[in-house]
Amino acid sequence: MTAGHDHHAPHGPGSGHDDHGDHGTHPPGIQHHYDDAQHQFDSGKLGIWFFLAQEVLFFSALFVAYVLYRHHRPEIFAYAHHYLDVKWGAINTGVLIVSSLSAAWAVRCAQLAQRRGLILCLSITLVCACGFLAIKYIEYTHKIHEHILFGKKFDPCVSSGGQHLLTNGDHCPGTKRSACRAADVDLRPDQPGWQVACKVKETTPTGTRELPVCEMEAHHHGPAHAANPPCWEISQNPWVCKAGDFNGTPGVAALVHYGDHALRGSSTKIELECDAAKAPPTPDYAADLPVVGGLGQGTFQPKQKLSDHDLGVQRSMGPPPEHTNMFFSIYFCMTGLHGIHVLAGVIVCIWLLIRAVKGHFTPQYFGPVDYFALYWHLVDLIWIFLFPLLYLIH
Amino acid sequence: MANPAADKHHDDHHGIAHVASLKVLLGTWILLMILTVATVGATKVDFGPSTNLAIAMFIAVIKATLVVLFFMHLFYDKLFHTVLIVAGVLALALFVGFTLMDSNQYQESIQWNYTVPADPPPAP
Repeated sequence: MTAGHDHHAPHGPGSGHDDHGDHGTHPPGIQHHYDDAQHQFDSGKLGIWFFLAQEVLFFSALFVAYVLYRHHRPEIFAYAHHYLDVKWGAINTGVLIVSSLSAAWAVRCAQLAQRRGLILCLSITLVCACGFLAIKYIEYTHKIHEHILFGKKFDPCVSSGGQHLLTNGDHCPGTKRSACRAADVDLRPDQPGWQVACKVKETTPTGTRELPVCEMEAHHHGPAHAANPPCWEISQNPWVCKAGDFNGTPGVAALVHYGDHALRGSSTKIELECDAAKAPPTPDYAADLPVVGGLGQGTFQPKQKLSDHDLGVQRSMGPPPEHTNMFFSIYFCMTGLHGIHVLAGVIVCIWLLIRAVKGHFTPQYFGPVDYFALYWHLVDLIWIFLFPLLYLIH
Repeated sequence: MANPAADKHHDDHHGIAHVASLKVLLGTWILLMILTVATVGATKVDFGPSTNLAIAMFIAVIKATLVVLFFMHLFYDKLFHTVLIVAGVLALALFVGFTLMDSNQYQESIQWNYTVPADPPPAP
């Protein structure tokens, strides 16, 4: 390497490390096996550039996956990117660019022995990195909540935005438990042998209609009776209370999963009405149980607040093309691997910050800051490509 | 590249590496921010899917070049580091290009196993 010759040249008066090999003359931070600060810095820099080239190759596999799928199935990408919020992607791009500036500035501060500036710049980088991860956390939790996930975990029927398309085309059968919303109603049976049927009524400004009930289950509100399991045994509507001792233990509640995927705003009211009747006599039951009518009625609002973003996603877009989940497999792989890199950067940045506070870095020894900054710029660079590729599909 | 120049102490900086001037750093940052706004803005206009993609990628490449040249000091750095990173990008291009070419070769023969049922094999 030519640098091997270069670094001997500038030794002027005052550079007291000509006689390499002598421990005592090495400035702080310079390892024994390097001739001088220049030698150590150049070696480290060569190493980090090799690492960065390797990082490009590391990510290249994911970019290949992206390019192949987008090339062969463009409609998936055109459809699925609507699930991503450009606002968050753009904010994160800005956050990373600011952090890149502060990382580059930190190198400058270290080179110029500006310790306070170095600490400030590294702190800004750290805050931005954490901010990036926090925004990613917001995005990920939203997607987990809405089942907008990779592989089989992608279920547009659960997504509140996805529900709109289902009313238009009946693409998701209402029997899916996960696609149902659940509501509690208090039932107070005091004897076994009841048959309970529930109706779910939805009232919107445009009218009233009945929603299908996909499943019902029972659970105790009152003290648990380990010896006496709930009497509700049939998981379809209606229920039949076949056995169990509920004398004196009111507070059995029913959880009614009503299956429907209608778009619901805050003006929508949902009513649950359950009626009880004596079960048809079977050999298992005693025939002379009293009948108590009007078990319960619940009025409630949908628990999930619909986000405008999700509502906008699929309005008049029709059902997702098949294999739309591939987009999210790629999305989570790419942003996940990138996020891991950001996390690694956060850890290194904390370490650098501690060292900077301790005053380890000098104009002769600032390699770690420079190497971290280079790594951080590469992380920023990858996001510069991920942002338009994932969020900005036209 | 500029290492010998840095060795000559052409300014008040020491000789280990080039010190980026604030003007360059801030200028790069402002350009990056403007380009980010531009790339978001460009998607609001419909130029056709492939043109929109080309614009987005063009802006991304400009941004990447800015970051590499000025934030990563490659403009002032040793040529060998440029060679390294360009080699990495070239390998990426080869990887993407050849896989795409290959998959295009047999794309016609793929039977996607959902919407269209596979044709029965021809009778012998």
